Amino acid sequence: MTDLDVTEPTPPVEAPVDDRPGPSGFSPSPQGWFARVVVLIVIFGGVFWVTASVKGFWAARISLAVIFAIIGLSLNVVLGYLGQLSLGHQAFVGISAFVAAFYVTKSAHCTTDSCSIGSFLIAVVIAALAGAVAAGILGLVALRIRGLYLALITLAYGFVAERSLFEIPALTNGGAGQPAPRPDGFVGDHAFAYLCFIFLAIVLFIDWRLLRSKVGRAILSIKQSDAVAATYGINVTAYKVLAFMMSGLFAGIAGALFAFHETNVVSNNFNFSNSLLWVLMVVVGGLGRRTGVVIGSAFFALFPYLITIYSGFNNFFKDTFHRDPNYITLVIGPLLAVLTIIQFPGGIAEQISPITRWLSGKRFTKHPDGGHATGEPKSGKRGLFKRRSQNGAEPEAAEPSKELVGSTEGSDA
Amino acid sequence: MRTAIVCAAIAAICALILILGAGDQTGPNAFVVIGISQGAIYGLLAIGLVLVYKGARVFNFAQGEFGTLAAFTLYLFNRQYGLPYWVGVIAAVVITVLIGLAMERVVVRPLLEKPRVTLLVATIAFALLAIGFEFVIFLPELKNLEPIVHGQGITIFTYILDPQHLIIIGVLLALAVILGFFFSRTDLGLAILGTSQDAFATRVVGIGIDRISPFIWGSAAFLGAIAGILYVPTTNLVPGVVTLYVLIPAFTAAVLGGMTSLPGAFVGGVAVGLIQALSQWASGHYSIGDKLLQGYLPDIPDVVLLVALLTILLARPQGLLGTEA
Repeated sequence: MTDLDVTEPTPPVEAPVDDRPGPSGFSPSPQGWFARVVVLIVIFGGVFWVTASVKGFWAARISLAVIFAIIGLSLNVVLGYLGQLSLGHQAFVGISAFVAAFYVTKSAHCTTDSCSIGSFLIAVVIAALAGAVAAGILGLVALRIRGLYLALITLAYGFVAERSLFEIPALTNGGAGQPAPRPDGFVGDHAFAYLCFIFLAIVLFIDWRLLRSKVGRAILSIKQSDAVAATYGINVTAYKVLAFMMSGLFAGIAGALFAFHETNVVSNNFNFSNSLLWVLMVVVGGLGRRTGVVIGSAFFALFPYLITIYSGFNNFFKDTFHRDPNYITLVIGPLLAVLTIIQFPGGIAEQISPITRWLSGKRFTKHPDGGHATGEPKSGKRGLFKRRSQNGAEPEAAEPSKELVGSTEGSDA
Repeated sequence: MRTAIVCAAIAAICALILILGAGDQTGPNAFVVIGISQGAIYGLLAIGLVLVYKGARVFNFAQGEFGTLAAFTLYLFNRQYGLPYWVGVIAAVVITVLIGLAMERVVVRPLLEKPRVTLLVATIAFALLAIGFEFVIFLPELKNLEPIVHGQGITIFTYILDPQHLIIIGVLLALAVILGFFFSRTDLGLAILGTSQDAFATRVVGIGIDRISPFIWGSAAFLGAIAGILYVPTTNLVPGVVTLYVLIPAFTAAVLGGMTSLPGAFVGGVAVGLIQALSQWASGHYSIGDKLLQGYLPDIPDVVLLVALLTILLARPQGLLGTEA
């Protein structure tokens, strides 16, 4: 390692992880692989055991957490991979939720008594396409407008969807809401939760394959710099719109599942504080890292309910502050986000990275390359005053992975 | 010069609408007055947004929450503790400025050298945090704030303009002039502009960003507090009220004015208010078939606002009055 390495662009953390034996030549022994497989089975088995053994109320909460995880992955495509901020994701989720509900009740004539699994699947596909189209429109706008200004546009887009589109009586039944009966065999909360898990697995698979492919590499390079990507022959226009449509596709799947989760879609489900909270949950989870995003999203979906389990806390809160303990969750989410941005950039994914790295067949270490001083930043505390490097250069220059969102200045040039 | 031309153009459009609608009870005249008085509120918040953008090159999503926090503080002191109104106003402004300074110290300063979008997400998180605290402390109940002056108000075209709106328009005009003078004539104002353009170069000539930054966010909190105290009495006080109803039109106003122009924020605010009020009138006045426009598409003013925002950003990103500074 020479000093020159500092100036060389380091690959972003989101870049496909190399599973071939690394520079250290490390590869787990058969016993090591066995241990990893056992831990994975315990984790996944634990999740399913919990889902199977809890009561219906909690199964419904778990399916909501899975839907949130899909929404988080959807935002992650735009925010984590492409580096553009979308504050209007409730528009995509909402549009596809209404499309799915509209299809099953109006076209497929489903009732609460009978609704075939076929029409459910068609509804999900149509809703996903609707989400992709809705997001693709925004992607076209994103070709001209970037960064802060795009964030503003998406916020206004979400507002319009919430206040205007979702209130059109012909499409959404006004305030009464559009019913969305669950398909036969998945009416129960437990069965529906398993269905949601299947869709999460599908989305995770698409996301994984997408990032490993040429498309994923192109999108990641656009995040670093439009101009440089274009000089390498990457079709910036097409891949930007594609990234938005991909995000819309995931949001569409989540929206359809949300419709069937609620079984009655009302516009009130998609207000703007929700979409801001979704952005925060992705940030807390760790931008561009799907494991962290899934954990962060599930946590944000569940903790308002988890906090009420412990009655001692409930009573303490009621007696001391005379407040419903649910309100405290409104404070905890944003507080976590502020802490993540300032003290622990990288979020949950950064904190659990030794575990995920170990599970993927590497050593159990904080550093991806066995502790070499590469571009991987130290995740130690920085304090409120950030230390500037001696030569006045920005410390971030050598560690793009640390940036929350890529260099996306406004379009004021 | 351009400011004068744009102002004259907007005034001419208003006059034209007023003349065309003269004598018509269902005409747009009252909506012109509503638009201007609403637009003044947008302009008031937009001025704070422009100040932060000039100083820190970031959109401050917490600007609306400065207003809501000030309004809640005023409510606490005036209605719950029964203190005089002016004491409440002073306390609200002081506490909001302290919150703004605390936000600068804890949230903004560690992120000064990060990409601007990171800082943007941080201001969003701060705004949601403030809304959360408002929910916890004051509960989601409708509350009311007293206006500064009780009075008859004046009637223009069947619309009663109460004194609060007149005060808002006056304060906004005064602030636009004072801040315009501050940024073009005083050393501190020029130092702030310099910091926003090149933080490293200003450090070389001896202006520390650590000195300038608290001033920017303190003043932003001050302006937000004034906006909240003036705006909330014209509506109900609920958690996040300013963010919900004023922030997006105010951003549109600031972008329309050019994001860096203080008179632009004022002009843009009035223009956005007029656009919204007139589209509100049109959606309830014209009909296709046997249904009014708003029967087909609810909340047309917000749709028009999005279209306006898109049009400005695509066609003229520097806004009507934008300059490089």
